[in-house]
Amino acid sequence: MMNRDLPVVRLQGVFKSFGQVRAVQDLDLLVPQGAIYGLLGPNGSGKTTTIRILMGILGADAGEVALLGAPPHKTRQSGVGYLPEERGLYRRMKVMDHLLFLARIRGISRGDAEARARGWLERLELTAWSGRRVEELSKGMQQKVQFIGTILHDPALLILDEPFSGLDPLNQDLLEIIVREFQAQGTTILLSTHLMDQAERLCDRVCLMAGSRKVLDGELRELKRREGRGVVAIDFQGPSHWVNGPEVVSVQSLGHGGEASSHSIRVQLHPGANAQALLVRGVDAGVRIQSFSVVEPRLHEIFVRYVSRNGWE
Amino acid sequence: MDPWRNSWAVLTREYLVRVRSRAFVISTVLVPLIMGGLVVVPLAMEGRGSQEGSGLLVMDRTGVMTPLLLPRLAEAGFTVEVVDEGELGTPQALVRRMELGPYLALLELDHQTLNEGRALWRGEAPPPPLRRLAIQQAVVRTAVELRLEVEGDPASVGRLLDGGKLEFRLLGSTAPAPPSEGRMALAIAGAFFLYMVILIYGTMLLRAVLEEKTGRIAEVLLSAMRPWELMLGKVLGVGAVGLSQLAIWLGMAALIILAVLPGLPDEMLAGYLAALPPGLIPGPGLLGFFLVSFLLGYFLYASLFAAVGAMCSTEEEAQQAQFPVVMLVVVPVILLFPLMENPDSTASVILSLVPFFAPILMFGRVALDAAPVWQAALAVGIMGVTLLGTAWAAGRIYRVGILMQGKRPTVPELWKWLRRP
Repeated sequence: MMNRDLPVVRLQGVFKSFGQVRAVQDLDLLVPQGAIYGLLGPNGSGKTTTIRILMGILGADAGEVALLGAPPHKTRQSGVGYLPEERGLYRRMKVMDHLLFLARIRGISRGDAEARARGWLERLELTAWSGRRVEELSKGMQQKVQFIGTILHDPALLILDEPFSGLDPLNQDLLEIIVREFQAQGTTILLSTHLMDQAERLCDRVCLMAGSRKVLDGELRELKRREGRGVVAIDFQGPSHWVNGPEVVSVQSLGHGGEASSHSIRVQLHPGANAQALLVRGVDAGVRIQSFSVVEPRLHEIFVRYVSRNGWE
Repeated sequence: MDPWRNSWAVLTREYLVRVRSRAFVISTVLVPLIMGGLVVVPLAMEGRGSQEGSGLLVMDRTGVMTPLLLPRLAEAGFTVEVVDEGELGTPQALVRRMELGPYLALLELDHQTLNEGRALWRGEAPPPPLRRLAIQQAVVRTAVELRLEVEGDPASVGRLLDGGKLEFRLLGSTAPAPPSEGRMALAIAGAFFLYMVILIYGTMLLRAVLEEKTGRIAEVLLSAMRPWELMLGKVLGVGAVGLSQLAIWLGMAALIILAVLPGLPDEMLAGYLAALPPGLIPGPGLLGFFLVSFLLGYFLYASLFAAVGAMCSTEEEAQQAQFPVVMLVVVPVILLFPLMENPDSTASVILSLVPFFAPILMFGRVALDAAPVWQAALAVGIMGVTLLGTAWAAGRIYRVGILMQGKRPTVPELWKWLRRP
């Protein structure tokens, strides 16, 4: 068993460019043991490149990379489960044969692998398909098969690139439950996603990336506390022109009340901005404010705030 | 960890998936069935034909042809009865007589037969093409022999008609005898077969590599194993499929020889074997060299095809990129015929030692008995050393290419891949 204090994944000063395009710049990343770590960011922000560098598929132009305490190419086989962003299975192989093959290259004995595969197929409601060819399965089912292939060898570290994309809500929930179960067993999970709500529910730590750079990282609860005063939830009746002002980053409408003129909004403020100014402007505009409260920001709001401040490259 | 375990897992997967595929079963069964069918079916049909309905009436108005002609017709599988002109004066009498036999036809010979080789077939239907040819040959041969008999004995005329023979007495003690027809046929057939299997399994490997790359399977596999383990497993897996197919084909050939040929009528079998040119049946040494040529040739080209597959991202790209490699296989086949004209020349020796030509050309020369053992051994050595080089280079290209999506690398980029540690 490895040292509990040692980070499972460690990137330091990592750079990667493709020709003129900078994909990752000066990235530091620490994933502690036992965490569910979310790598978040919009498309093209460098999440997948980071993961591919972690897996040793791409070499970093500069910087240090360590996975389970060793350079990536040394950690093959040693208990990493990897679900790439672009899924790939042998289309002509039968589901069970395919899973056995994936288990075999991870060093699992046939009997063991078969029992495990059966269990997981049952759990993910694919038992009836175990003798069918992969090409006969729907995209979502194929994805579940590939997920089983990723976890079949009970890895100490799971690296999942956009694991929820392409799954229906029921299966997304099931996947969330399974990921939590792995965490409970002591598995470290690093997953990338652009679905902020999902990440908010699931992750205890996150790293936000935008425009090839890290904009923010840390423990999710801590981040929210730190960014806490930035969001105001307001219910009011009347016109809404007064909401926009210098301290406002964005306004999200949560819908109208019973009457046409009643609103429920969340306003995101620049860090350090005073919510009082907004309240005063509302009162001056003569609207009827029913409630006005500073709330804990959602991950999405933190993200929008930081990205808009740092700009997109 | 055990690196061979991964290669072995890749190998067995590749092998089982391919061997169980419909394409493998169909090609394995159909190719020899078609080729065997082309040889055996007409033979068997002829054989059956000789047992039923092969009676023939012969009316010889020349009065001299029957003694020579009858044995020949019998050899061609006919049961012959000679009739007089008076016996069959009327058409009704002929029909009655033919039904009695039953006879296929009445073969009439007269002075025109002796002069021009023309004979008359009176029957309900013309004979099948092969029988027609046999009858025609028997008749013409007899006529020619009779016409020439004045000047010599029929036996010597017969040898003349066989096409004669050019014998060689060669100056200098080391000059080897020119290859027999059988050896020529063997060299051509073996070389073409090598060309075919190298190309078939080479492109099969290319597609297998491409499948893993375009299907994004390589990324998962390479999170569990090193690139060379994957490449080795692929190359050996497809190679094992090739060897299996060869083994099945050889087994089927042996089965046909052992099971089908004895079923043919004896006289036909003897005639068939006698008709084989001498030297056509390969010895164990040549079969062994064929196997070595196949293995070295396959691995040499496999490493090139694997590298090409790893370089490309689409099927269309691969079609283009494989062209130089395919040309490398085609060139020795083109060179084969000029080389066979003069298998001992310096040019032939050198060409057959070029590593990418050697699998085909050196086999051709060995089959012709034109290559001394040391040359064959040298070719094997050169191929082996080259194989180490191509495997190394292909491994480097594969390692980078298999995970690289997008445009195909340029030559300078490839060079960079090769030099990257």
